[in-house]
Amino acid sequence: MLDTLSQLGAGFIACLSPVHMLMLFVGLLVGLLVGILPGLTLVMGVVLFLPFTYQMEVTSAIILLTAMYVSGTYGGAFTSILFRIPGEPIHVPLLWDGYAMAKKGQPAKALGWTLVAALIGGLVSAAIMVVLTKPVAQFALRFSSPEYFAIVLLGLASVISLGKGSLSSALISLSVGLLVASVGTDAIYGSYRFTFESPILADGIEFLVVMVGAYGVAEVLARLELGFTSAPLQGVSDTRTQLPSLKEISGLKGMLLRSTLLGHVVGIIPGAGATIASFVSYGVESQFGRQRGRMGSGVPEGIVAPQCAATASVGGALIPLLALGIPGSGATAAILGAFMLHGVQPGPQVMMTSPAMVYTIFASLFVGIVFMCVLGYFAIRPLVKIMDFPEAVVSSFVMVFCFIGALSIRSNVTDLWLMLGFGVVGYLFERMRFPIAPMVLGVILGPLAEEAFMNSMISFQNDWTVFFTRPISGSVLVLVALTLLLPVIGTLIPRRRAAPAE
Amino acid sequence: MTALAMKSRVSAGLPYVLLLVVSAVLWYYANHIDVAARPGQLGPDFWPKLAIGLMAIVSLIELARAVVSPNHKEAHGITDQLESAEPLADADEQGDRSLPLLLGGMAMSGGYALSLGIIGFPLATFLFLAGFMYLGRFRRHTMIWTSSFIGAAVFSVLFLKVVYVSLPRGIAPFDTITDLIVGLH
Repeated sequence: MLDTLSQLGAGFIACLSPVHMLMLFVGLLVGLLVGILPGLTLVMGVVLFLPFTYQMEVTSAIILLTAMYVSGTYGGAFTSILFRIPGEPIHVPLLWDGYAMAKKGQPAKALGWTLVAALIGGLVSAAIMVVLTKPVAQFALRFSSPEYFAIVLLGLASVISLGKGSLSSALISLSVGLLVASVGTDAIYGSYRFTFESPILADGIEFLVVMVGAYGVAEVLARLELGFTSAPLQGVSDTRTQLPSLKEISGLKGMLLRSTLLGHVVGIIPGAGATIASFVSYGVESQFGRQRGRMGSGVPEGIVAPQCAATASVGGALIPLLALGIPGSGATAAILGAFMLHGVQPGPQVMMTSPAMVYTIFASLFVGIVFMCVLGYFAIRPLVKIMDFPEAVVSSFVMVFCFIGALSIRSNVTDLWLMLGFGVVGYLFERMRFPIAPMVLGVILGPLAEEAFMNSMISFQNDWTVFFTRPISGSVLVLVALTLLLPVIGTLIPRRRAAPAE
Repeated sequence: MTALAMKSRVSAGLPYVLLLVVSAVLWYYANHIDVAARPGQLGPDFWPKLAIGLMAIVSLIELARAVVSPNHKEAHGITDQLESAEPLADADEQGDRSLPLLLGGMAMSGGYALSLGIIGFPLATFLFLAGFMYLGRFRRHTMIWTSSFIGAAVFSVLFLKVVYVSLPRGIAPFDTITDLIVGLH
């Protein structure tokens, strides 16, 4: 423990260097803007900023993207509470009590509760992350290829069952992703697969091309088709934040801890993330909380629970990414991409070989959360004012970011064409209600799953029972089966619905 | 069965028929992968065939369900189930979709990719930014041209001079603009 604390201390010192602080500040600001601006999502923002990190040192790059990730879970709260416009599904639960409290004439108080929830949830979750990551990584060192295959399979199963869309559409989306990942030169035998004699396809399709197209271009095309219909905002000029008193905060300490732990645990699960954390935490409070009868009428509990869990999920999501090298969501997949672009493969080894980098990233999360709340407190008016910016202008710049993102990967126009192709695929997926996340995670995790599977089969003489007979992989496969059953069970259980704030 | 019910079944099943055709084509190509595996070992075609098989089986099941009962209830992901408590505004409810706008956006993006090698990154980006804003029904001309110019210049300087991303320079005489920006003149 002392060793961890001393490494974290060194991480804080490294984090306070001017370059890292600049990256942190830029990441927080952009993350808040991405959360606020219509047509931009948290994942899109993180993906679009990847090209800027090419020339950066790896730690600065990860600090920038992690700061965007954490502040993206907070920025959209402003517009949910003030204008009943959730920037992302994460902030839908804030419509029920946050907007209701604003309508009762207390928007500043509602924003204050959001700030406190993000601050406490984020910091406590970051502390848990620091304590847990090293033991998880040490445990993962025992893994062999069957265990890795089972863990990757769990990630793929969770994104199907915990995500959006019907199970069948998610499975089709996943199979598309696995197929895209198999294009290029096979890692085991060196055979060409689906390359159609194109030299660039022999190198495979970069997952960033898929991500930028499916998340960035597809979203802009979908909004363009609707004619960029965002309405101008009213009443921005008197926006401010009023912090609750210490006595008020103390009255909710149990619930703050509960929501933080819940958000953290949900964040660890691959495929789950801030959205599920936010909804589940609100659901738990409305079922079991002290104020369950008043939820939906503008009570602080209804604001604190979802925001606290959403921000806490970031600390949880970074554990499987750093300790196992497995991203559980679009945002962590983009962060994994940044690691790989800089030649670093996160996983159990990285904790042992590059502790300085890992602990600087940890420290940046603590500093980032505090700065995010300071920014949110003092800069809320100009931040919200940005919503008045014309959507056509923002979207045209987003498109150029996508183009640069594709061109900068291999400096080849074919990547630009591929990215546009995946943009059209992403648009069609959206129209046909096929979820995009399974495809993207299929592209990222597909090669890992294939390699682990093929290595297992080679090592264990094609004995496929090895996945079930080894204790860890067998247990994880049971979890895979349970995860896939979850949506079916979910449809059978009737849920109580909170009264929406009207 | 009424004509309407028949049409509904066909439209529900059509995407899966297409996916089955795609699966068949991909399976054909997977069969032509140069297999270098030793006898008894799984070859490089195994994994893609697994993915194709998954797509084909799910498509087949969904096609059968679409034909037998087009309005069947489906199990959805947990996020969908949670969000159903307060669904976000669906695109279809937000307003009329405009196919010309969509096709225009796609055409402009394709045009950008085509022109990039000829007129170079700075000019192509400037024209794309201005054109896309007009396409998006924004009509403040001064803002459009000013922001496009500033945007293209900032992106060019940032990526060509600072971040050193190898972006297309264009052919003569358009490469002069790129050279001016990166300081070769």
